[in-house]
Amino acid sequence: MGPAKSISDDEVLGKAYDARLMRRLLTYLRPYRLRVIASILLLLVVTVLELSGPVLVQIAIDNYISVGDNAGLVRIALFYFGILVSSFVLAYIQFYSMQAIGQRVQYDIRMQLFRHLQAMHLGFFDRNPVGRLVTRVTNDVNVLDELFSSGVVAVFGDIMTLIGIVVAMLYYNVELALITFAVIPFLVLATAIFRRRVRDTYRDVRMWLAKINAFLQEHLTGMTVIQLFNQEKRTFNRFSDINEKLRAANFRSIYLYAIFYPTVELIETVAIALLIYYGGLRIGISLLTFGELVAFLQLVERFFRPLRDLADKYNILQASMASSERIFKLLDEPPRVTAPASPKTIPDFKGEIVFDNVSFAYNEPDYILHEVSFTVRPGEKVAVVGATGAGKTSLASLLLRFYDYQKGDIRIDGMSLKAMSPEYIRSFMALVLQEVFIFSGDFAGNIHLNRSDITAEQVAEAARQVGLGGFIERQPQKYQTEVQERGATLSTGQKQLLSFARALAYNPKILILDEATSSVDAETEALIQTALDKLMQNRTSIIIAHRLSTIEKADRILVMHKGVLRESGTHQELLALKGIYYTLYQTQFNFANGSRNHAQV
Amino acid sequence: MANDKPGRFDHLLPILKRYYGYFWFGTLATAFSNALILIVPYLTKLAFEAIQQGQPSAAVFRLSLAMVILAVVAGVFRFFMRRSIIWASRKIEYDLRGTLFSKLLTLDPGFYHTSKTGDLMAHATNDIEAVRMMVGPGVMQVVNAVVSTVVSLAFMIALSPKLTIVTVLPLTLLSLVVNRLGTLAHKKYQIIQAHFAYLTTRVQENLAGVRVIKAYRREGSEIDRFAEASRTYIDMNLSMIRLVGLFGPMLAIIVGGVTLLVLFVGGREIMAQRLSLGTLVAFFGYMGWLTWPIMALGWVISLYQRGTASLDRINRILNTQPLILDPGKSKSSPTKVKGKIEFRNLTFAYPRPDGTTGAPVLSDINLLIEPGTRLGIIGPTGSGKTTLVSLISRLYPTQAGQLLVDDIDIRLWPLAPLRRGIGFVPQETFLFSDTLEANIDFSAEENRSGRVVEAAMLAALHEEVEGFPQRYETILGERGITLSGGQKQRTALARAIMKQPAVVILDDATSSVDTETEEKIFANLETILPGRTSIIISHRVSSLKNCHRIVYLADGRIAEAGTHDELLAKNGPYAALYRRQLMEAELEKM
Ligand SMILES: Nc1ncnc2c1ncn2[C@@H]1O[C@H](COP(=O)(O)OP(=O)(O)OP(=O)(O)O)[C@@H](O)[C@H]1O
Ligand SMILES: Nc1ncnc2c1ncn2[C@@H]1O[C@H](COP(=O)(O)OP(=O)(O)OP(=O)(O)O)[C@@H](O)[C@H]1O
Ligand SMILES: [Mg+2]
Repeated sequence: MGPAKSISDDEVLGKAYDARLMRRLLTYLRPYRLRVIASILLLLVVTVLELSGPVLVQIAIDNYISVGDNAGLVRIALFYFGILVSSFVLAYIQFYSMQAIGQRVQYDIRMQLFRHLQAMHLGFFDRNPVGRLVTRVTNDVNVLDELFSSGVVAVFGDIMTLIGIVVAMLYYNVELALITFAVIPFLVLATAIFRRRVRDTYRDVRMWLAKINAFLQEHLTGMTVIQLFNQEKRTFNRFSDINEKLRAANFRSIYLYAIFYPTVELIETVAIALLIYYGGLRIGISLLTFGELVAFLQLVERFFRPLRDLADKYNILQASMASSERIFKLLDEPPRVTAPASPKTIPDFKGEIVFDNVSFAYNEPDYILHEVSFTVRPGEKVAVVGATGAGKTSLASLLLRFYDYQKGDIRIDGMSLKAMSPEYIRSFMALVLQEVFIFSGDFAGNIHLNRSDITAEQVAEAARQVGLGGFIERQPQKYQTEVQERGATLSTGQKQLLSFARALAYNPKILILDEATSSVDAETEALIQTALDKLMQNRTSIIIAHRLSTIEKADRILVMHKGVLRESGTHQELLALKGIYYTLYQTQFNFANGSRNHAQV
Repeated sequence: MANDKPGRFDHLLPILKRYYGYFWFGTLATAFSNALILIVPYLTKLAFEAIQQGQPSAAVFRLSLAMVILAVVAGVFRFFMRRSIIWASRKIEYDLRGTLFSKLLTLDPGFYHTSKTGDLMAHATNDIEAVRMMVGPGVMQVVNAVVSTVVSLAFMIALSPKLTIVTVLPLTLLSLVVNRLGTLAHKKYQIIQAHFAYLTTRVQENLAGVRVIKAYRREGSEIDRFAEASRTYIDMNLSMIRLVGLFGPMLAIIVGGVTLLVLFVGGREIMAQRLSLGTLVAFFGYMGWLTWPIMALGWVISLYQRGTASLDRINRILNTQPLILDPGKSKSSPTKVKGKIEFRNLTFAYPRPDGTTGAPVLSDINLLIEPGTRLGIIGPTGSGKTTLVSLISRLYPTQAGQLLVDDIDIRLWPLAPLRRGIGFVPQETFLFSDTLEANIDFSAEENRSGRVVEAAMLAALHEEVEGFPQRYETILGERGITLSGGQKQRTALARAIMKQPAVVILDDATSSVDTETEEKIFANLETILPGRTSIIISHRVSSLKNCHRIVYLADGRIAEAGTHDELLAKNGPYAALYRRQLMEAELEKM
């Protein structure tokens, strides 16, 4: 038992721009680089086309309207129209192609993450709450998509527009341009202050939202416990606390926006006022035309346009930096339990299992298995008993290579587990887990788990063997009846049987049962025993159980105690030893007899 | 009253009402700020005319200065606009989320079995945010749009009716387009959201069931299934993009078109000496002020659609009648459980999500448990044992027949004292990812100092906890995964013992515990059970020793009941079971 360390990085929010992350993100564009380049070129063209508007207005006013050239006005109007239409078409194509790239990248990253998670070792899942990992694969990837499809490109487009405007202004009139630019420092200052503050509040908002989500996830699944213990009020108060913190963070951001937007508007008006005043002076001495002043006014208006959704873009950028940081951190976490470079297979499978001085710790240095050694001969049926927490489940987990042992070795038919690929090992073993998990879907799906070569008959046969056939047959859609999330509407024993049926349907060469019938009644258990005896003839099986009845037919019994293998032998041998097993057995026997004694009193 | 259907805003309005003041003030501020800032283009016109007529630069300077002053004042109003309306929307969000969660706290396990946790979480976050967007930014934009449209129009008509028509008609088109696109997009958006929820569920289940996936090597097929779902997701997105991609270019072409029309028509008017250049410039200004609000109107419509769709989903929860109604406290209502439990002709079937009920799980149960006695329940898997005891804690509503606690119908018991009096250890353990201590001390009763250790000792857990590096401060993994099966069960047992309940119910609570530890636990319980009523469910006959009475449940009916001896004498299913288990033990002894 160790500390449950976890990367609680929902709360970490880095900088708004991080060159290292950005570079890594851009590598995802590599497969699509031609399209990206095409899209950027298109964007350039569209920007130029859109900026030509004010210029055309200027020409129209100065060259035609002021001199009363009607035909000229018609000509330029038609030209303008042509530009509008072509920029409409090009802008649409540009937008779509960029978004399509964004979607593909989103798909690539999501699949990379999902594959990576499928390869991760179980120790990783012990430390990281499911909800958090789900967020990585779903929401965080979506945020990145936004970055690719709008954020980066939009910012790029904005910058090009701004440059275009500056060039156009300087071209018309350097002096007036410089006068207009006088407001820029104020704009930069306002944005800089805003940016810093908004980053902090945004981080707070994200953090409290993540906490609300985590809280809901846990307390909605544990609602029955809350109600059974009358903790509704306390739970509500704890929820309100977080909700309140979230509100406070949001309040802080309101002030920022409420000040920032009017400030930008004010600066824009100041720029216009400056333009009009100085422009008027210049026109007075014929250094400027009216058309040019009008063009200037329109250019200024466009200069401020990108700032209207600056906060949004900034948030996208920041959110995507944070998301990519979390995603990369997850991708950089190496899968611990992996196949060796050249995995071996067992040439002639017999099913001998050897534990050779195995020591294991979930979290070093808290060892929970100490130098465990034993051999299970091919076709043997071995039972493992021992007090709760003795390390029986851990033993089974090691055998399937859910975790890697630190010392010693485990061998199957003489081949070290670490020399084979985990998938290969699991291809001939089946483990019925102590902790039952039922998927949503139907009964059949829960048994064959989407393995296409398991037939409907095999599924039904497996269900019958565990004594669940009758129950399923009575359901409205039989094997196609849907079960709820985590099998919520089944009895505990039914769930256990369902997960048992899986193992039988997979027809393994080595079967490991971890308390597989602890919640099942004695009669059904006996039925399963009979089926197993037939099924596992000449096949190796390891059975972990607390009930003597479950292990009665074992060829050999291993007794675990506090992580150490203390006794091993047949039932008779162990009784004769008068050790742990003997006392264990005595208690159970007396316990069983107790009811009779009590009844006799 | 029968067709008194709940209205869409029934739950939202009372909350909104609390903040009417904010909305009024915000509306006024919005109106003022818009009215003021819209004077600016008119001043531009005056300035242009002044320049054209060669007036002294002081006149132009005064006009420019006036613009800046107007912008400052308008800015102050803008500040108050957000500070009041958006502020109120955040308060509404907070209140609504609180209302929703407190409703969720009253809903029964049946509700949770049939709803997906992910959906419920989405209601409490995304849906509430959508409602907030509707009542906050949505309302603000409506006011904004209405005021700036009216004021701009007034100025424009005063300046030139002809140009006004030229400007307004295409912009109306814009509003229609935005609205149409918005509606289409909304429909697609809903489908995409549903698929995204599916995607989320796939990942969620895959990761929660990772041990099974790995044990059975399902990684490959899981990846295939997920790839298919992700592909569908991006295909849906692309079809959405084809639609909303029209938005920006459409806006550009319509605004450009209006500029062109104004330039063309206005230019001819100027040439005909019917219009000044200043007026044309002012028009360009008003056009800018009109475009955004009109477009915003289209946006507001989609905010409204999203908001109401979300509100409907939230309402569905808020309108759910909890199947378990707390009768509340009255003078005559009981305050403390003494421990007498009686089932009278009780028949029970689980309600289905569609409102019907399935086949009965319990039939004609008649059972009297005297205070201070111990009842054992045994029976095949799925025979209804868990169901029977869940009814005592009132997790499900009773239907036909009666269930009495201390001779009072369970429906008349206020929930708090009833549940406080019952220590129920459910068959499946749920622990919180908190410290061990917080988990054991979950009921957080008064004077609990030292009782956590005491409870852990009774549950035979203390010794092991002492061996953990952080002892009772050990933080558990999600659902307690970092504990062994038996440790989890005993933590749940300690948690129930902490309550010192009058009725103890153990639903197969030692199934993952070895016999020796189980024996220890039962011995410990002996010290606290006398005087308390207890119900013990088990599959092992041995665990039912010391029970005053044993009930054998089969197919939801009491097949037989009596003391151990009586049952043996009856030679029914219990006796058969007993002989089987005893024989096993004795055979081995030989
Ligand atoms: N994932 C984990 N991370 C850290 N510690 C763990 C983890 N799983 C189990 N442990 C600890 O390892 C020890 C052995 O646990 P294990 O589950 O192997 O016991 P067990 O013999 O199967 O017990 P039981 O009979 O109760 O199921 C326990 O002290 C437990 O707290
Ligand atoms: N929430 C539910 N909704 C619908 N049916 C249910 C629900 N819970 C249980 N059932 C069904 O009711 C029957 C009785 O279930 P119950 O959990 O009471 O059995 P049990 O006797 O406790 O079994 P076990 O020994 O496996 O714990 C079973 O057939 C089960 O499938
Ligand atoms: Mg049960």
